[in-house]
Amino acid sequence: MKDSSVKLVIEGLKEAGVNTIVTLPDSRFKELYPALAADPYFRYIPVTNEGEGVAIAAGVMLGGRGAVMLMENSGLRVAIESLSRLGYTHEIPVFMIMSYVGDIGEKNWWGICHGLNMEPLLEAMRIPYTIVRKDEEIKDTIIRSKHHTAVSKYHVAVVLSGEVTE
Amino acid sequence: MKRFDCLKSLVPMLSDEIAVISLGGQIDEWHNLRPSPKNMYIKGMGAVIPFAFGLSVALPNRKIICSDTDGSLLLDMGILATLGNERPKNLIVMILDNECYETIAEHPTHTSKNVDLAKMAEGAGIKNSFTVKTVAEFKEKMERALKLDELSFLVLKLEPGSQSFPEEERKRTDGVEDKYNFVRYLEESEGITIFPREQKSIRKIEAEHNWHNTKL
Repeated sequence: MKDSSVKLVIEGLKEAGVNTIVTLPDSRFKELYPALAADPYFRYIPVTNEGEGVAIAAGVMLGGRGAVMLMENSGLRVAIESLSRLGYTHEIPVFMIMSYVGDIGEKNWWGICHGLNMEPLLEAMRIPYTIVRKDEEIKDTIIRSKHHTAVSKYHVAVVLSGEVTE
Repeated sequence: MKRFDCLKSLVPMLSDEIAVISLGGQIDEWHNLRPSPKNMYIKGMGAVIPFAFGLSVALPNRKIICSDTDGSLLLDMGILATLGNERPKNLIVMILDNECYETIAEHPTHTSKNVDLAKMAEGAGIKNSFTVKTVAEFKEKMERALKLDELSFLVLKLEPGSQSFPEEERKRTDGVEDKYNFVRYLEESEGITIFPREQKSIRKIEAEHNWHNTKL
C-alpha cells in the first residue's frame, strides 16, 4: 500500500470515530499495520482468527467505542459463523475493512478463490458493501459505512482494492 | 458441585458488575438469581469470551464477568492467547465446565478426557488461572478475583444438571430484546450514545415558500 493510501485510511478511521483496531494481518495491508500500531490514538488488538476478531469488535462497539475488523477478504469465511449470530440473533453490528484478494487482475493463483466467494457470501449475509478502487473514495466510504452500522444495527463492509492496495 | 449453587453464592457478591452470559441451563439460573439489564446473554458459542473482552476494552471503568462454558470455549480457543497477551484488568472469565454438551443428551466434551482448560489458559499467559471443585473454593477465588485489578480465569468443575423453573418464571426475552435492554442500560449508566437518535429533518430551505399561495 502507498503511504498516501495508508494516510487516507487512518484519517478516514479517525473521522469515522474508530479508535479500536481489531486485526488479523494480511499482506495487502502490510504498510498499514505498523502505522496503526504506532499511532497512540488507536488501541491495536491482534487476534488469532477472524471469528474471534469480529466478536471482539462487536463487544467494543456495544460498549460505546468505535471498532473496525481489519482483515483479508478470506477472513470473511472464518468470521461468518460469529457474524451470523451477532448480526441476526442479536442485531449487534460489526464494521469491517477487508482487502480484495482475488479481484480481477489478481497475480497469485491461491488468491482466486477469495475473489470467487467474497461477494456471494456478503450478499448471502445481506451485508452492504462498497468496493473502493480509487484513493479519492477512501475517506468518504469509511465514514459513511461506519455510521451506517450504528443506524442499521447490522454489519457493513468496506472492500479495498485497485490503486488503494497497490 | 452444582452450577446453581455456585451462581447462588456468586450473586450476593455482585453489585455493579456486568455479566456476559453464554448458552445452556445457566440462562434461566442467572435470570432467576439476578434479573438485570446488566446481564447480556450471547447466543453464539465461541463468541462469548471475545465479546466480553471487547466490552472490557470499551468500558475500562467497569468490571465484566464472563460466564461461559467448556463447549463454547473449545469452539474458539484462540481467545486464550489474545487474553494472555492483552491481560484486561477488568475482566473475570468463568468457565462452567460440566464436561458435556448438556442440552445434547450430555454428550461429553474434550474436558471429560485429557483436556485441562485452566492449564491451557496459564500456558497462554493468563496468570490467575484456577480450577475449582467446591463451592467454598469457588467463593474464595471469586472474592479474590473481584478485588484484584487483574484478569482472572476460573474453571468450575461441575456435575451436569440445571435447576428447573416453572415456565412463567423463565426468561422471556430474545437476543434482540436483550441487546436493547443492555444498550439502554449502558447509555443511561455511562452517559453515552451507542445507537444515534433519529435525525430530525428541520432543515430550512433557501427560498422560503408560502404554501398558502400555491394552487395544489
